[in-house]
Amino acid sequence: MRSSIPAFGITDMQKPSESTAFIPPPPSRGLRLLLLLWNDKFAFAGAMFVLMVVLFAIFGPWLLGDVATKMNLRARNMEPFTLEKGWLFILGADALGRSILARIMVAGQNTMAVATTAVFAAMIIGGTFGLMAGFIGGWFGNVVMRLADMIMSFPSLLIAMIVLYMLEPRVENLIIVLGITRMPIYMRTARAEVLEIRERLFVSAARVMGASNWRIIGRHIAPIVLPTLTTIAALDFAFVMLVESALSFLGIGIQPPDITWGLMVSQGKNYLQTAWWLSFFPGLAIMLTALSLNLLSNWVRIALDPVQRWRLEV
Amino acid sequence: MKWTKFLLGLPLAVSAVALMAVTGAEAAGKIVTVVLSEEPDVIDPCESTRSNVGRIVKQNITETLTFIDPKTAKISAKLATGWKQTGDLTWQISLRKGVKFHDGSDFNAASAKKAIERTLNPKSDCEIRLKMFGNVKMSVKVVDDYTIDISTVKTQPILPTMLGTMTITGPNMQPLKGDRNPVGTGPYKFVKWVPGQEVVTTRFDGYWGAKPEAEGARYIFRKESAVRAAMVKAGEADIAPNIALQDATDKKMDFGYFNSETTRLRIDMSQKPLDDIRIRQAMNYAIDRDALIGSIFSEDVVNMTNLVVPSIPGHNPALKVWPYDLAKAKKLVAEAKADGVDVGKEIVMLGRLGIYPNATEAMEAMHAMLSEAGLNVKLKMVEVSQWVDIFTKPFAQDRGPVLQQGQHDNNNGDPVFSVFFKYGCEGPQSTTCDKQVDAGITKASATAAGPARDKVWQDVFARLHELVVDVQMFHMIGYSRVNPRINFTPSISTNSEVHIAEVKFN
Amino acid sequence: MGTYLIRRAFHSFLSLAGLLILVFFLARLTGDPTNLYLPLDATLEARQEFTEKHGFNDPIYVQFGRYLVQLAQGDLGDSLMKARPAIDVVLEAFWVTLSLAAVVIPIALIGSVVVGALAAYKPGGAFDRIGTIAALLGASAPDFWVAITGIIIFSLTLGWLPTSGYEGHLVYWIMPVTVLLIRPFGLLVQVARGSMLSVFSSAFVKTARAKGVKERSVIFIHALRNAMLPVITVAGDQAAGILNGAVIVETIFGWPGVGKLMIDSIFNRDFAVLQTSILVTAVAIFTVNIAIDIAYAFLDPRIRHN
Repeated sequence: MRSSIPAFGITDMQKPSESTAFIPPPPSRGLRLLLLLWNDKFAFAGAMFVLMVVLFAIFGPWLLGDVATKMNLRARNMEPFTLEKGWLFILGADALGRSILARIMVAGQNTMAVATTAVFAAMIIGGTFGLMAGFIGGWFGNVVMRLADMIMSFPSLLIAMIVLYMLEPRVENLIIVLGITRMPIYMRTARAEVLEIRERLFVSAARVMGASNWRIIGRHIAPIVLPTLTTIAALDFAFVMLVESALSFLGIGIQPPDITWGLMVSQGKNYLQTAWWLSFFPGLAIMLTALSLNLLSNWVRIALDPVQRWRLEV
Repeated sequence: MKWTKFLLGLPLAVSAVALMAVTGAEAAGKIVTVVLSEEPDVIDPCESTRSNVGRIVKQNITETLTFIDPKTAKISAKLATGWKQTGDLTWQISLRKGVKFHDGSDFNAASAKKAIERTLNPKSDCEIRLKMFGNVKMSVKVVDDYTIDISTVKTQPILPTMLGTMTITGPNMQPLKGDRNPVGTGPYKFVKWVPGQEVVTTRFDGYWGAKPEAEGARYIFRKESAVRAAMVKAGEADIAPNIALQDATDKKMDFGYFNSETTRLRIDMSQKPLDDIRIRQAMNYAIDRDALIGSIFSEDVVNMTNLVVPSIPGHNPALKVWPYDLAKAKKLVAEAKADGVDVGKEIVMLGRLGIYPNATEAMEAMHAMLSEAGLNVKLKMVEVSQWVDIFTKPFAQDRGPVLQQGQHDNNNGDPVFSVFFKYGCEGPQSTTCDKQVDAGITKASATAAGPARDKVWQDVFARLHELVVDVQMFHMIGYSRVNPRINFTPSISTNSEVHIAEVKFN
Repeated sequence: MGTYLIRRAFHSFLSLAGLLILVFFLARLTGDPTNLYLPLDATLEARQEFTEKHGFNDPIYVQFGRYLVQLAQGDLGDSLMKARPAIDVVLEAFWVTLSLAAVVIPIALIGSVVVGALAAYKPGGAFDRIGTIAALLGASAPDFWVAITGIIIFSLTLGWLPTSGYEGHLVYWIMPVTVLLIRPFGLLVQVARGSMLSVFSSAFVKTARAKGVKERSVIFIHALRNAMLPVITVAGDQAAGILNGAVIVETIFGWPGVGKLMIDSIFNRDFAVLQTSILVTAVAIFTVNIAIDIAYAFLDPRIRHN
């Protein structure tokens, strides 16, 4: 919420007296945010990591597409941390002798696409419905909640299986499946928060002042609910990547020759004792990405909250 | 503050639990614990051609009339002591005397007849009937207390071999398939089945044969091969009949053996461009089998030249393995292209998830190899049900050219169980139709067991090799892990049977 | 309260009906199971016989009608896989999964609330950083990886725990529960922490502090009650996730639970078991959701009065 009290306590009534001291103009909002980010080293590291992953996702397949699919059975399950075959094999080779590093970079695109789109869609759509359900209540609220119940009780693996069976296990279809199955949690959480918030004084005040429902939802309630939803979304991101891996474990998910991190982890499960690096590095990619997103989302939560922001400004 | 106490208490609690911990139920005493990959859905012996059921039931709880030696494919006496063909359509079987079922009833001609008719009852979908006797109409007649006559509509020269799959069940079992209390004549009798957890058997004191060492058996189920291997290593189980190649890392405990499975890529010869023999030859030349052996496949697998393993009579040893010759493959493809064959048409390589260990990797590897030869191949992995739909007739009209990953086991002593189904014009899984092959099948089926029959089969296999009906792969190796406290050597039949009576304790 | 419960039960019943209809039709879209239950070599006649016997060749609305009639008589059908009534198969498996969930969720809930509250107390502090990172790492590790690695370390190498199995002794529960625990725990810690952060900076907490209410009281009575709403919502979602999706833990540790049963029934096209297991787990999940909604009312009197 934007504060109505101007910064530094200077009101319109006072005119600054002429002074010989040079007062630098206050930093722009963007620069201020960057400074806040820098002050939280963990979040900064997280942001850098996410940036790196995004770059891989965009440029990876274009730069390393061929290397990632080049098979070499004689280098099967080659160990990591040797430079024998060049820097590309620093993380070792997979069961068909392909560079794990290259594959991670290329798979990043599919993984990011699936996770980002699915979670984003679920959060926006689910969150909106949840907000409306909580605020409006009545039969609409009931219908939305029962829908959430239905989706929650429908085993996501069954939906995945059916959709992927009917429509081919491609990235786009996987996004649809995962997006739908993740919606209920946002619906229910948003509604839960709204139920609590709409009883607060400031909401009654806004209503008395004549604010329309939409305005109340959009300007007053949503900004409070959003942080919780983004916290969930940041972790959901990891969850979606892992569900995708579980689907591959069960044989339903993305199939070769498409690759995602989840598929790579699942393909490596047969070699956990003999060639641990096959599952470990893609799994590490998933974990670090989830961790970074979460540190970033925690930072966002503090940075946008005027009451807590001082922790970052010191 | 409360939380300090909580955090301090935690490690104490954990160590207390750890100290209390008793490491799992050790495989105890003279009970053999066998860990299988899947729980069987049913335990009725008339389903014992399914490996999950057979491993528990076959030759343990129920026995067969004749016994097929896994190494030589020869049959020997079991519940039947003699057999002779008394007419074109009749076989006379002499039955063993002094045998009792687990529930006390006697094994004789009457109960044998009842057991055979139970398995062949058209109202039950017994797997044994459907798989082995689908096209065989037979009737059983009691001649005297220990002799029966089996009459068939068409002559069946190898009926005694086929009876090696016929399990003899007790006369008091329910007449339709689905009895959850199997009764037989075997050395172990059924005690209980706790669904989801275990099946327990115990030694039968009235057994007609030699008394076995093991006092009983316990069957448990774990889907992951790594877990099965770990259980045997940790002493929680004695035998894991089937573990993956990667988990067979312990030379002392692990045994590799021919498991009678043969893998290939089935070529749909009715679809362009697979109908051109040059393309089929090119595909076989393009596969670098040596690179696959010892990497994705066990180093002990054997290159396939016939569909059946070398120990089956009728196997043609003169057929040559396809050499790896990428240049020749490319040349053949170019030749075909010059002749107007559409070599650029997309060929689907259809794999089945989990059909054998590393199945997906194998398909990926072969996909790369075939692409190098200049063919336009697309990989598609599917699950069992879809795979079965595409593998069996009726085939979809608009299916396009498909190379289907397949695995076949034939451990029942004669090629007749395989060749008709896979290569005959009317065969339910056949994408081939050749007059010579069909004539060979008919002739062999009617010939009595012996060198003459073998020769006919060999000619059939030679013809199939000439036609290039498959992208030939391997006769597969299975791995078992056995706990050193027992003495048990897996053999080719371990894929479908685990004889507890053979287990000795060290 | 009574009318509320009845109304909720009725609405849940409607959802359940919708769910079952959806499942019925969607499941049959995956094809006819005949080929899975007969050997590859079965003759065409044998296949046709099987299909007719089970009615798979009837038009789908006929099959649906038959299903409704049976349902009205309380017959949920027989399992194709197991040749037993589907309801028996499902209830046996459901009990296993339910016991697992009943252990995991309370531990996750209580543990995460404690850790999250303490982390939010001093955001950016050492406890917050370490706790958050540890919880996150746990929550983003693939569970089959953790499970198999756990077996390798604790059973094979150290010999402290058995590899797998569903038995009564505590030792058999430790690894499956721990593996199932880490994701809900990690997620709930984050939600609790975030929730508490918001609450700590809100007006009524300041008021309570200003009034001189003891610090411990501030956290555990005032702040926690309000922060719990999103936490129990997410916990409910996680509970649902375990009830119908603990398939990986069940598979690896050999627990005959309902998650594994559902997957098997999908692969084996055992429609009776699939429909029945969805029915049973749905009833459980709806019950959990109703319980959560009632808990909202308890925790926040303002909602109660609505």
